[in-house]
Amino acid sequence: MNADATESGLRRLATAIRLRAVAMVAPQGFGYLGQALSAAEQYAAVYGAAYRPGTDRVVCSPGHYVIAAYAAAAETGLLDEAALASYGQNGSSLEAIGTERSPVPEYTCGSLGQGLSAAAGFALGDRLAGRGDVRTFAFLSDGELQEGQVWEAAMFAGHHRLSRLTVLLDANNSQVDGPVDSITTIEPVAAKWQAFGWDAADLDGHDVAAIATTLAAGARAARPQVLICRTSTRHGLACLPPDADGHFIRLPADLAEAAAAELRAELGRLAPETTGHD
Amino acid sequence: MTDLTRQGVLGPPYRTALKPYGRALVELARARPEVVCLSGDLTRQCEVDLFQEQFPGRFIHAGMAEANMIGVAGALARQGYMPFVHSFGVFTTRRPLDQIVNAVAYPRLPVRIVGFMPGVSSPGGPSHQAIEDIALMRAIPGMTVIDVADATETAQVVAAMADAPGPVYLRLKRGEIPVIFPGDHRLSLDRAQVLEWRGAEMDGGADTSSDVALLVSGMMVAPALAAARVLRAAGAVAVVVNIPVIKPLDTATVLAVATASTAVVTAENHTIIGGLGSAVAETLAEAGLGRPLRRVGLQDTFAEGARDAPYLFTKYGLTTQHLVDTAWSVLDRPGSSPRSPTLPADVGEYAPV
Repeated sequence: MNADATESGLRRLATAIRLRAVAMVAPQGFGYLGQALSAAEQYAAVYGAAYRPGTDRVVCSPGHYVIAAYAAAAETGLLDEAALASYGQNGSSLEAIGTERSPVPEYTCGSLGQGLSAAAGFALGDRLAGRGDVRTFAFLSDGELQEGQVWEAAMFAGHHRLSRLTVLLDANNSQVDGPVDSITTIEPVAAKWQAFGWDAADLDGHDVAAIATTLAAGARAARPQVLICRTSTRHGLACLPPDADGHFIRLPADLAEAAAAELRAELGRLAPETTGHD
Repeated sequence: MTDLTRQGVLGPPYRTALKPYGRALVELARARPEVVCLSGDLTRQCEVDLFQEQFPGRFIHAGMAEANMIGVAGALARQGYMPFVHSFGVFTTRRPLDQIVNAVAYPRLPVRIVGFMPGVSSPGGPSHQAIEDIALMRAIPGMTVIDVADATETAQVVAAMADAPGPVYLRLKRGEIPVIFPGDHRLSLDRAQVLEWRGAEMDGGADTSSDVALLVSGMMVAPALAAARVLRAAGAVAVVVNIPVIKPLDTATVLAVATASTAVVTAENHTIIGGLGSAVAETLAEAGLGRPLRRVGLQDTFAEGARDAPYLFTKYGLTTQHLVDTAWSVLDRPGSSPRSPTLPADVGEYAPV
């Protein structure tokens, strides 16, 4: 893996994920950029510091987030970066909503609320087969908590004490119809998972070091773990208009150019020569 | 002319067997360590208490959470396991349809979905009556759909379906399962079978030409055999074809039998929309084979709760007499149709209504 698992390395990786996502969305002028912006630190922490390719498993439950997985994989040498140019194009396997032919995650699904069942199945299967070392990382989103199947799976994983299962829940308070909390009250999120037998951490989802530290601690947990990552779909891009639709951001050419410039400048500020290794 | 596969049958009343499926799954699991068993809170009802006793480490309680059960099964299949998933037919098809499509069928995973209590064999009302499960499963790309007739076929279908490509849906009668086929019967997942009584030709001759072809599956095999007997006694030759695999359909046998018949009647313990009757109609139409066709089954209606299944089979048109009446009508025979005698059955025996 090419990633630098130091805090500054992970911050660079998160910024690079955002830049890759802008480049992937720009040709069409709109797309699932908000998902990459809110989840960049989660993908950076998993792909940069926790996930062991060939050993561990990654599930991307909301298939719209697969853009972040593609970006993280390209940055860490798991995916040819040239392939990113085909994102969302006709005939491309890098479909905008992840499918069976999508590279990178072991499993992704566009029909929301189903990924945690697959992740629990992976974790259970690994245990049945005696593969006690394998971890399964499942990326979920807060809107998905409205789907009943998530709670079926949460109860199942809690009952079976699937301690090698870790959920990264992107709590960006965004869904198609508006803020999640204006559609359905999902709080208290942490207490819900705890009540289902999970260890729950509620943290700043843009603090990549905190995510990485919590993921590392999860390797020794006795129960499944959920990281409730409080995020914004506009994080890291000051140039976005305040009313940008987090689910499906419009990114005309001039805005795409401004976004790329802003992120390149940020990468420059985070460059190892200036920040040193911490 | 397509070579037809012929099979002998026993006569009613049929003796019954208990848990032929559960025993067959245990047998398969002994030979195939990748077999795992999931149950949605209907373990004894789905006969997999036998599996749980023998292989507790490979038995998974999913609880009343069918969507999650299908998702877990899909992930297990991705790891090389062969999950058999169990509940009533309504709860393994209607309820987790999107999960079956996305987590199992689209990735073409070898998940075996088993749904007990087909059609109006349940007196439990519309919530428990799987009357459109075949239609739902048949519409999914790559899904094999099986509706077996008796305990002999049930005992064989488990091993047979283990090696089918992709996902399989198997619908099974619950409880006492009639033994319609003798022990030397060989279930085929590839070929529908022309049925004949032992020692007596059913089909009117080796060329299978007949007045009416009865194309049937599952619980309608026994009434079709009884109806053929009544019709023959009244001078109408009926050939009975057992079609355990609705998809992929053995279209060659369907067309060969229909070609040699004046009319075709399908019968299924299911709505007439989207199941066997529809599959046969599509086959005949695409071949340009014009034969009067009648479909016996639920006539685009929900059924209802009741005390017993025979009442529902009678009320919703799934009896031997309904088959006789339908054949008589489609053949445009004069006069009223012959009467089907009530077939006696002692406790532990089975006879069609």
